[in-house]
Amino acid sequence: MNHLHDSMEPRVMDDDMLKLAVGEQGPQEEAGQLAKQEGILFKDVLSLQLDFQNILRIDNLWQFENLRKLQLDNNIIERIEGLENLTHLVWLDLSFNNIEAIEGLDTLVNLEDLSLFSNRISKIDALDALVKLQVLSLGNNQISNMMNIIYLRQFKYLRTLSLSGNPISEAEDYKMFICAYLPDLVYLDFRRISDDTKELAEAKHQYGIDELKHRESLMQARLEDEQARREELQKHKAAFVEHLNGSFLFDSMYTEDVEGKKLSYLPGVSELLEAYKDKFVIICLNIFEYGLKQHEKRKTELDTFNECVHEAIQENQEQGKHRIAKFEEKYLLSLNTIREESEVPTIEKKIMECGEDITELFNALMTLEMQLVEQLEETINLFERNIIDLVGLFIENVQSLMAQCRDLENHHHEKLLEISINTLEKNVKGELDEDLPDDVRLVSALFVDKDTIINAVGASHDIHLLKIDNREDELVTRINSWCTHLVDKIHRDETTRNRERVKEISQYVDHMQSELDNLEYGDILD
Amino acid sequence: MEVLREKVEEEEEAEREEAAERAERAEKTMRPVEVRTEEAPLTPEMLRDLEKKLSEIETPASEEPPVITKDTIDISSLPLSYKTNTPKEEHLLQVADDFSRQYSHLCPDRVPLFLYPLNECEVPKFVSTTIRPTLLPYPDLYNWDGCAQFVSDFLTMVPLPNPLRPPSSLYSSTTVLKYQKGNCFDFSTLLCSLLIGSGYDAYCVNGYGLRDLCHMDQTREVCPLTVKPKELVKRRERALSKKYTVKPPRDLSSKFEQEQEIKKQREIRAQEQKRLREEEERLLEAEKAKPDPLHGLRVHSWVLVLSGKREVPETFFIDPLTARSYSTQDDRFLGIESIWNHKNYWINMQDCWNCCKDLVFDLGDPVRWEFMLLGTDKPKLSLTEEDDNGMNDEDDVENLGKEDEDKSFDVPHSWVEQIEISPEAFETRCPNGKKVIQYKRAKLEKWAPYLNSNGLVCRLTTYEDLEWTETLEVKEWYQNREDRLELKHINKTTGLNIDYFKPGHPQALRVHSYKSMQPEMDRVMEFYETTRVDGLMKREETATTMTEHYQGRPDFLSYRHITFGPRVKKLALKSAESNPRPIVKITERFLRNSAKPADEDVAERVFLIGEERIQLRYHCRDDHITASKREYLRRTEVDSKGNKIIMTPDMCISFEVEPMEHTKKLLYQYQDMMHLKNEEKVSRHLAWESELEVLEILKLREEEEEAHTLTVSIYDTRRNEKSKEYRETMERVMHEEQLQQVEAQLDYLAPFLAQLPPGEKLTHWQAVCLKDECLSDFKQRLIDKANLIQARFEKETQELQKKQQWYQENQVTLTPEDEDLYLSYCSQAVFRIRILEQRLNRHKELAPLKYLALEKKLYKDPRLVELLKVFA
Repeated sequence: MNHLHDSMEPRVMDDDMLKLAVGEQGPQEEAGQLAKQEGILFKDVLSLQLDFQNILRIDNLWQFENLRKLQLDNNIIERIEGLENLTHLVWLDLSFNNIEAIEGLDTLVNLEDLSLFSNRISKIDALDALVKLQVLSLGNNQISNMMNIIYLRQFKYLRTLSLSGNPISEAEDYKMFICAYLPDLVYLDFRRISDDTKELAEAKHQYGIDELKHRESLMQARLEDEQARREELQKHKAAFVEHLNGSFLFDSMYTEDVEGKKLSYLPGVSELLEAYKDKFVIICLNIFEYGLKQHEKRKTELDTFNECVHEAIQENQEQGKHRIAKFEEKYLLSLNTIREESEVPTIEKKIMECGEDITELFNALMTLEMQLVEQLEETINLFERNIIDLVGLFIENVQSLMAQCRDLENHHHEKLLEISINTLEKNVKGELDEDLPDDVRLVSALFVDKDTIINAVGASHDIHLLKIDNREDELVTRINSWCTHLVDKIHRDETTRNRERVKEISQYVDHMQSELDNLEYGDILD
Repeated sequence: MEVLREKVEEEEEAEREEAAERAERAEKTMRPVEVRTEEAPLTPEMLRDLEKKLSEIETPASEEPPVITKDTIDISSLPLSYKTNTPKEEHLLQVADDFSRQYSHLCPDRVPLFLYPLNECEVPKFVSTTIRPTLLPYPDLYNWDGCAQFVSDFLTMVPLPNPLRPPSSLYSSTTVLKYQKGNCFDFSTLLCSLLIGSGYDAYCVNGYGLRDLCHMDQTREVCPLTVKPKELVKRRERALSKKYTVKPPRDLSSKFEQEQEIKKQREIRAQEQKRLREEEERLLEAEKAKPDPLHGLRVHSWVLVLSGKREVPETFFIDPLTARSYSTQDDRFLGIESIWNHKNYWINMQDCWNCCKDLVFDLGDPVRWEFMLLGTDKPKLSLTEEDDNGMNDEDDVENLGKEDEDKSFDVPHSWVEQIEISPEAFETRCPNGKKVIQYKRAKLEKWAPYLNSNGLVCRLTTYEDLEWTETLEVKEWYQNREDRLELKHINKTTGLNIDYFKPGHPQALRVHSYKSMQPEMDRVMEFYETTRVDGLMKREETATTMTEHYQGRPDFLSYRHITFGPRVKKLALKSAESNPRPIVKITERFLRNSAKPADEDVAERVFLIGEERIQLRYHCRDDHITASKREYLRRTEVDSKGNKIIMTPDMCISFEVEPMEHTKKLLYQYQDMMHLKNEEKVSRHLAWESELEVLEILKLREEEEEAHTLTVSIYDTRRNEKSKEYRETMERVMHEEQLQQVEAQLDYLAPFLAQLPPGEKLTHWQAVCLKDECLSDFKQRLIDKANLIQARFEKETQELQKKQQWYQENQVTLTPEDEDLYLSYCSQAVFRIRILEQRLNRHKELAPLKYLALEKKLYKDPRLVELLKVFA
């Protein structure tokens, strides 16, 4: 682009260059002296300007975690890269570079102002993560397809757009098209869009926009549907009864069951199967509903528990705060008297008193904390017992329902066996020949002898039982693990809380003590 | 007239004597029960003596002209219905007379009924027809309390001429309202009319009351305005203990000791209460009124409102004199003789030995309430109890007889004109817009709005003693003030003044309590914080401090406390006002800003200006009990090399809940400190501005007090100067237009008026002259006209005669042409003569009429009318 830059040696973004830039752009005057004295950490820098540096590659910026504004304009950068860590970036200027494609911006979710003016970009894309985008400058690029505009419809906050100097801006419909398809836009190519223009554009492109809107709303509806379904499933999973509100389990029993399928062609079996399925599904539904109900119960239990614990902690904290406030009031008063006092023995006495106060405060706070720990322990134990009971009850009931399923399966198995043997006998006698449909002939391989058929039926039965067992096992394991996790977490949280509080108290008391000690030294020095 | 008055006086005298006699008689037949219970030591004889004496005393007293005597009432303007009785009314009176006679026959021991007193035109009228149900177009008069308040305010009470007897006359509400005076019967009739008009089931009561009640003496009553509304003790709902609520820590204190402590305290409290009660009793004893010798005999009239209509839940009494409502159990009301509304009349047949406490107000029960007219809409009580005494049998007989006589007799329409109260009168309310009520240890003064130039409408003065000498506090209510002042509360003992303002004060002031208007003194100002840009809610001041409370600010400031030091004496006294007190300390507190982390959100900052110290306290984190603190000590020192020390670690002492890296940096601390320094400057400036504002408000208040202008609603056409001006201009324009039209017609007086000196008022004499001149001139003109016509007629006739003569002389020599000419001339001349003759005749006919018309017109001429009338 710029011949002046081309002729110069490309530079590397190294530590020295960054340090220099940070130093130059950092605080000035008195604060600057302090900054120099202490040095500035890259992660404290909020804004960085690196223009006209002949930079070819963006690099070494990973330390600038808190950077809000970055200027890299008028360089010879060819790719957008190395910006992944700069998640707080709000302002990014990459104008007057040699960038050909938009990329590497997926982590910059806070970006509001993006300038890519005068580059070699031909397509607008890869901006999906920039949900807060307000200003987008893409002038003097090589965008030639008007459809790029439609891509920009997803940015709800986009108010300013510049596209002049692109091939599309030559099109006679350019302005109208943009105004129509981006109705929230306020400034186009640095000019305010008048209301008249907007109305005109809307009228002109009414048809296209309506169609687009319709498509978008359909898409939106589909997404919402999907979302709702997912949430529903999530809820069922949390209740550990997912896929039990239908024939899913039953169907899964037959998917891997080759023999079963074959056997279902036998005369009379399809009716049997139908009745079996109905009954089975009813039991499944029972389990499902029971599961949801139990889940609700567990949830209210947990909510009440959390609420109560929270209340107890809050109350305890209030008491603690009150104590501290009272202490501080007194402490300040005594400090003032100490300052005004001139007699050394009195000062020492006062300081002694203060020390005693601090110890007293420490004791009081620790007593409060110990009290709370005891109270919470009791409550937690109660809750643990209750939740384990609940889970146990749930498992028990589910198991009994599952047993019903198994009974059904056994019953079905017997019936099936009976039919099979009957059919076999008929087959042996050759009575079936004429009235059997073709598909039974496929099964005829099974009807060789009694053992084969019994084996086949047995295999099918085993698969079914296995499926049921698996489902039951899964449910039991998951709920048990959930329960253990929950209880563990509660205990762990309580321990952490206790440690934090004790640490906080001792830290505070230490601070007060050391302050008092410092005072003593100071007085002695005086 | 004189004769008439004498006659009236004679009549009155006679009536009075008769009344005294009757009272005596009545008192003889007075219910002995009552006398026995209430006046145990007095025997009926003693009572009679006393009564006689009293009536003797009172007779001369009532000799002095009563406030409304009949002669002062202009009965000429009253309509006919006031002066005569319709046949139906006559019939009704007859019925009433019958009823009264039967009653006195059946119950000879009771006082005669108050049935048909005379009205202002000396015509007997049945009491029910005196009630004129009216609904007035004032929203205030829609509810009973408003009505009662209005009646009690609007009328001045005149005691009954004889306190032991109902009055002999009962005036219409028209007269009562006109003179704004009346006795208790007038009060209750008017109130009853209004109440029935607005839908209440109200009745006038003729009965007996306590002396204070009858005399409208409220000096033993506690003023209702001084009674503090009882604060509702809100019982705090204890939250339901949930399943997992933690158990409270074990209580290790001794139960026995607690019990002992409670017992001891209870004893102390009991003693205290006993002492208080004794004190109270002593006071009550002192305040108690002297025993009334006429207890139970004083006639009073009040209003009874029955439950049912207008969602009245309970039957109650209204005393129309004081507008207060009482329960029917109240012992101020000693008995009921009879009650009536606009439809019927009932006599109380129940015993009143226990005041009105045992009365049952079921008017459908003929045993308890003897009705006069049948066909009332009151539901009849189904007789569940058997009639077992003779009295009831007699009643039944009586009822039967009456039923035969006048089955379904309706009370005729009221003879009283519809009650009308002009908006002016309604607004002025009390006679002359002023009223004073004395209460126990309190005095209430009321004024009509706009009567006082400072907008004062009500003043309540509370006194320490019963004689109203030691003022305790004064409460003044204002209305329509431009500065929106609503209530001024002056406590005389502490000297504390509290002004309350309605929303709309230019400085959004709500309450201002102060002891003096001098600045830098103790005062509290409260503001309508929503109308203020800075959200200031309250500003308290003492001699050395100023505390401000804020609400709803974007910077979350909620409190600012400023401590001032003593004024420094300046050497050069350049200007007195620019020497503000030095600020020693500014404390600011902020609410939690949830957008910031707690460790960076300042909760309190203290600028110790003298020590150059800034203390910061941060908000506490949600799960912590300690908060971060930081203290900056700013000293500009120079190090050993002579360089200025910018920032050293010992200039900032901080305690952090969770130590952070970046706050340790000097750069951060330096920036923070610089920021705080700027904030300090801003705060000092704000403090200075607050002081200025206080001065400004005080000045404004003083100006407002001085000016005390009143606002006038744009809908108030009477007072609104602008609209009045506009209306007047419009009227003037209209008037001028009319005048111009009149002038355009023809001013027959103009030439005569022109002779007189212009711009002067006409005298009688001049007016008469003018009239005469005008008339004579007109007469002359008429005569002239007649003469003219006559002259013309004569001339024509002469000419015709000449022509005829000439014709007769030359008839032979004439050519046919000449003859034709002559004939045509003749016919024309005859025609002319005939016309002239007709005109003359017509003129003769019309001239007197025209003359009379002019005369009439002149008498009606606006310029002369006043002057000529006298001589008409």
